[in-house]
This record gives sequence, structure tokens and C-alpha cells, in this order.
Amino acid sequence: MIKNFFKLFKQEFSLMIRASTHTIVLYSLLLIASSMFSIALRHIFIDVEIIIAFLWILIFFISVIKVEKVYASDFTEAKLQQYILSPFALEIIIFVKNVLIYFNLMILFFVFSPFILIILGIQISYLFPINFLLALSLLSIVFISSITASITISKNNKLSITSVLTLPLFIPILIFSMLITDFNDFQLDKVYLFFIAYFLLNLAFSPLLTSFALKKLSV
Amino acid sequence: MIEIKNLSFARGNNLIFQNITFMLEQGEIMVLKGPNGQGKTTLLYNVLNFLEPLEGEILYEGKSIDSYIASKFFLYIGEENFAYDDLSLNDNIRYWLALHNVSLSDDIIDKSINFLFSELNLDNKFYQLSYGQKKKLQLILLMLVNKPVWILDDPFNGLDQVTINKITSLLTKKVENNGLILISSHQDLAIPNHKIYELK
Repeated sequence: MIKNFFKLFKQEFSLMIRASTHTIVLYSLLLIASSMFSIALRHIFIDVEIIIAFLWILIFFISVIKVEKVYASDFTEAKLQQYILSPFALEIIIFVKNVLIYFNLMILFFVFSPFILIILGIQISYLFPINFLLALSLLSIVFISSITASITISKNNKLSITSVLTLPLFIPILIFSMLITDFNDFQLDKVYLFFIAYFLLNLAFSPLLTSFALKKLSV
Repeated sequence: MIEIKNLSFARGNNLIFQNITFMLEQGEIMVLKGPNGQGKTTLLYNVLNFLEPLEGEILYEGKSIDSYIASKFFLYIGEENFAYDDLSLNDNIRYWLALHNVSLSDDIIDKSINFLFSELNLDNKFYQLSYGQKKKLQLILLMLVNKPVWILDDPFNGLDQVTINKITSLLTKKVENNGLILISSHQDLAIPNHKIYELK
């Protein structure tokens, strides 16, 4: 079973590599949006916090869009039926997909981030802190987005608007993001510990909730 | 043995079928027949525990079917294709076999692939295949996933006569080996001694 799990992981990895085109397109749009932001506000002095907040909001949307796209193609009714009848728990499949989405987003952001920083006029010394903080918060965003996506793509759900109910789960991430946009105190303090605890909570419950939503609403 | 007792199912206020009762034992094939919209697929979904019935019960070996029983004993091939368009045919086969925890030697897997796909380049991407060729990928699971119960939704739809004959021989062998098969089909099957349940 473990051998087959690694085979499955390898194929999932291969699928995620192929899906990178979509992520590259999203990050290219981010570059364009950043350029427009910089050009439009070229005569105004803007604090770095505002620029980081702008970047954060765009990456938040990119993550949500990416998760929705993967879930819409990987959890069609026919695929989901096979996942449910497989000896592997659906929660494990969801976990693997989420982790791979995360790495896909993170690795490509790492590639794009120097260009984004230059375009937005952020000092290159912020490169590591931005990547580190994004790596920390993106995991939670991807896992919570998976719950939202599983409700949004459901075909038996008469009230797709119920996916809005998952939005409050993003609030701790937004508060965390607000706090960390103040880069001067870049150190592992209580905010980070709280955030890691919140992520672990997500790690435990998101695959369960996503799996429940997929089984109940999409078959 | 699958036993269905007084099964009824409704979607909202719309009653799809009611009071369905039949029994299917090891070494038997049952074909569900009926016009479109009579609930053949829905009945299969009830058996697979994908949907909960309104009334009645479905038992496998005397136990009510839950997700554990369904995943351990049932193999389902539906009408829609489940393969990944971006993967090659070969990668798709390996993916779905790994998902069903099949640990057979490459030699056996290759022989099974050749049985159905002898004329195809396995490195072709899945989206490059025709409908019938795509359907064959699903059916290859029948040869390699070892589960006692097969539940098939219109398995011959879109297949050529040669492939239909191959699948029919697979079904016959499964029954001879004490397997249990539940099929929904519009076509008449050339399998001896199969039961028919007409949904009206």
C-alpha cells in the first residue's frame, strides 16, 4: 500500500507540474497588475506596508483561483467516484493535492518574486522575509480554499452561496498578514506561534471538511 | 450476495423508483433494464453507497453496505470517463491502478494492456483518444483490480464489436470464478444465464 501511495504521489506530482502553466499565467497577471500599480502611483510616495498589502491581496486571490481550478478538474463526478471507492481515504488524496498545489504556488512565486519586488520598488533585502512569510500563510490559505472549492464545484448543492460560510476561516490569516506587513520586527514571536497553531488546526480539519463536502454534494 | 429490500429513492419531491426488491448471488449477473430516466444509474449509486435511499435496505453478505464495504468489495465503472487528459494512456493506467492499490508485476499489467489496447501507442495523451478508446481505459480496471463485485453502468456503450466480445468473455470468466456482476445496459448481452430486472 505504501509503495502504491508513492506511485500515486509521483503521478500527482507529474500532474501538478503539467498544471504549472496555469500558475505561470496567474503570476504573469500579477506582474502586469504590479506594473500598473507602480505606473499609476509613480508620483506618490507609498509606504512599503501598503505595497506589501497590495501584493498579499493579489497572492491571496491567485491561491484561491488556483485551488478552485485544480478541484474543478480533479474532482469531477467520475473521478470522485473512483476516489471514494479506492482503498486510500479521500482525505489523504485531498491532503496530497493540497500540499502539491502549495509547492507549485510557492516554488513559482520564489522564481517570480525578484521581478515583482523590482517592479513594485521594494528593497531586494525583503526577498527572504516575503518568501518566508508567504510560505507560512499560503499553506493555510490553500487548505481553507479547498473547503471553499469543494462547496463551489458541487453539483448537488442548491445553495452554492454556502461557500461564503467558509470565508470567516480566512480572517486569522488576514489578521496575521496585517501584522506581518510591518517587517521591522521580523522574528519568531507569539504571532507566528499562533499562526503555526492555526495552520495545524487547518491541517487536521480541512481535509475532513473538504472530503465531507465532496462526498455529500458532488456524487 | 447482494440483497435489495423494498428500496425507494427520491430526489426532492420526485420519486425515482419505489419498492425494488431482488437478490443477486455469487456467480450471477443481473442486468438492469429500462428506458432513460427510470433510475438505473441511481439504483447503482444506491448500491454503491453514493446515495442514501428514501426507504428500504441494501445488504452485502448480510451486512448493510457502508463506505468500507463499498471500497473493499465493489469495483464501479460508470458512463463518464475518469482519466486525466494531461496524462498519457500509460500514466493514466498506472495512476488508477495505484489508486486501487493494485500491486501486480509489470509483465501482467503489460499483457492486460495489450489485450485491450494492442493497436494503440500508450504514450499518447488521453485527450488524443477516441470515445471508445477512452472507454477501454476504464474497462482495463476490470482485468486488474481484484474485487468480488463489479458494478457497471452501460459498459458497452461506444465500443466496437471486437471489444464487446472481449469484455463479454471477461464477464463470463468473472461469473465462472464466482464473481457477482450488476449491470445497467440498453443492449442485450450474449452472456448465458443472466438475470434481468426491468425498471418501469
